[in-house]
Amino acid sequence: MRIIVPIKQVPETNAVRMDEETGTMIREGVEAIINPLDLYAIEIAIRLREEHGGEIVVVSMGPPKAIKALREAIAMGCDSAVLISDRAFAGADTWATSYVLAGAVKRIGGYDLIICGERATDGDTGQVGPGIASFLDLPVASYIGKVDSVVEKSCRVHRLVETGYEVLDVELPAVLTVVKEIADPRLPTLRGKQKAKKMEIPTWTSGDLEVEPDKLGLNGSPTRVVKIHKPTVARKCEKLIAGDDESIVVAVDRMVEFLKEKQLI
Amino acid sequence: MASIDRYNPVTSEIVAELSGIVGEKYVIFGDAEKLQAWSHDEVAEERYAHMPEVAVRPATADEIAAIMQLANREMIAVTPRGAGSGLSGGAVPLAGGIVLLTGRMNKVVEIDLANMMITVEPGVVTNEINDLIRDDGLFYAGYPMSLETCYIGGNVAENAGGGKAVKYGVTGRYVTGLEVVTPTGEIVQLGGKLVKDVTGYNLIGLMVGSEGTLGIFTKITLKLMPLPTANVDLLCLFESAEQAIGAVPKIMTGSGIIPTAIEFMDRSAVRASCEYLNETIPYERAGAMLLITVDGSGAEQVEREYEAIGEMCLEAGAIEVYVADNFTTSERIWKVRRNIGEAYGIVTRYQSSEDLVVPISEIPALVTGMGRIADKYGVQIPCYGHAGDGNMHTRVVMNPDWPVEKWEKTLPVVLKELYELAKSLGGTISGEHGIGHKRKKYLPLVMAEPVIDVMRAIKKAWDPNNILNPGKIFDV
Repeated sequence: MRIIVPIKQVPETNAVRMDEETGTMIREGVEAIINPLDLYAIEIAIRLREEHGGEIVVVSMGPPKAIKALREAIAMGCDSAVLISDRAFAGADTWATSYVLAGAVKRIGGYDLIICGERATDGDTGQVGPGIASFLDLPVASYIGKVDSVVEKSCRVHRLVETGYEVLDVELPAVLTVVKEIADPRLPTLRGKQKAKKMEIPTWTSGDLEVEPDKLGLNGSPTRVVKIHKPTVARKCEKLIAGDDESIVVAVDRMVEFLKEKQLI
Repeated sequence: MASIDRYNPVTSEIVAELSGIVGEKYVIFGDAEKLQAWSHDEVAEERYAHMPEVAVRPATADEIAAIMQLANREMIAVTPRGAGSGLSGGAVPLAGGIVLLTGRMNKVVEIDLANMMITVEPGVVTNEINDLIRDDGLFYAGYPMSLETCYIGGNVAENAGGGKAVKYGVTGRYVTGLEVVTPTGEIVQLGGKLVKDVTGYNLIGLMVGSEGTLGIFTKITLKLMPLPTANVDLLCLFESAEQAIGAVPKIMTGSGIIPTAIEFMDRSAVRASCEYLNETIPYERAGAMLLITVDGSGAEQVEREYEAIGEMCLEAGAIEVYVADNFTTSERIWKVRRNIGEAYGIVTRYQSSEDLVVPISEIPALVTGMGRIADKYGVQIPCYGHAGDGNMHTRVVMNPDWPVEKWEKTLPVVLKELYELAKSLGGTISGEHGIGHKRKKYLPLVMAEPVIDVMRAIKKAWDPNNILNPGKIFDV
């Protein structure tokens, strides 16, 4: 079985600071890590390989430094990696990103499963996994919390929905996006790190993929970031101090008035 | 404890006078519920707690000096208190009287980049110091495990150690200057911003670790270090505690590297913490773990060092060595170490937190001996802590089937035997928690009477009326 895991390198969210004026993240000097939700995709891929044999190819579109994320995935136990990097990809939205990743998946070929994290912690869209599926015309099952079985050309998965789980049989090859419940990610090992350090990881540019130049990067992106604004918290707190007999009466009166205003009593 | 009884009660006249000094708002009197919070520190057992009669929250050294003068005049005990995260009862007002809260004195007085020093008031949270200077490429290397809550004043009073002491030493290494209010109410300046200073006796050394018995610090000058830019943690799983602990002296002497931290955790400590955290690292396979940190000024150097140490662990029989080289993964494994205490805290409140210290070559003998004592008395003694500096932590945990009376009879016997074990190995009874009143009666086990007499004489010279934090370390 061949499993492809697309991952994204994101800033370590604990250390991220926002530029108050532009509303964008300050990425300079911030540690870059594998998108934490992609770790679950890597973990379930490794467990499926442990059970069924095969190999895991991890792929990331990003700047050259994203190779560090790929090496970390190798250190955790993935078998090989490809970096997709080209200035032409810069500024890609989820549509253009899915398009390029679909191109990369096509070139890797021979896959049974493509497993993605639910979403990235920086963009927070959750669109790239299903986007890849759509470009490749593959079935997609999102929010997967459990893989029950993989038999021949089909897998049975549990899909997390608001009311519980849907149990789906999905024909392979397919795209799964997975949630935290699926499996706790393992830690990279020393031997894994050493293997990852030595591994040659190819970089594919737009020329290596069957992609149309006008569909790449900022130019190929149908969506634009027009404005970023910080949502304000709408909840307001009103403190009523009831320290003595007199203030208790005032506080209770105000509370009754408040509940009436809100038509709660 | 006869000396404790000779203090006068806090009267309403005294409360009024205290209000005159610090402002009425900052005197808490007659509110048992509030005062209760300052009757104990993090020592779990209730019998070590004692209620203060009044709490005051001064904002300046002058106010503290006035309080001390009043206390001497009226013969009222004063116990200084930081964040209350101590583990030997240092902040407990044993004689009642005044508990002096330093929380309002939380200003950073000066960040002196030219000298790489910072001067702070005692109520600054230790962790905040590092937040303030990170962007300047500096850090304060004192690192107690309670760094998110504890105050720097308490760290200095207890000479706090912590996880990074292997490489960076303990709090005292970084204190170059102190402004101190003496027990009789004088404000004195000790040291300053000097890296070297042999003018007279080293009174800063005397103040650091004096457990609040010799003075109240009102300004603290700390030496800063260049912030390491690379940091990697290894989590090494071993089949047995002997194997894990046996690897420590090998790493310390054979690798040519001084790791930032080497923490040891035995099977039961790891299990308790992992279950508490829902952490799924494969701990069932491991009889013990080492958590080793390496830091430095470049990724390549740190990589070379962690690989060398990791290889040594594998040679010493490690089943697996995990590598955490980013904040998220690093936090994941440090959480396991940091939450051991918390995890046992929810099992039973009948336990005693200990921090024996021995020369590093004796750590394996200490761990084996602790296991023997646990078996002999039928108590749990999970073992964890700063293996790299010989400071092993443990909790003596009551067997849940026991009646409390049995526990209360057994614990002192177990403690005495543990302390004697540490002594026989060239160690002592506390590496960083301190003596306070919790270990006071055991001090003579490891310290000769003439030495304790010298400490008594010092205490009397500084505090003739025994006003400041009476009943701690030794009886005057």
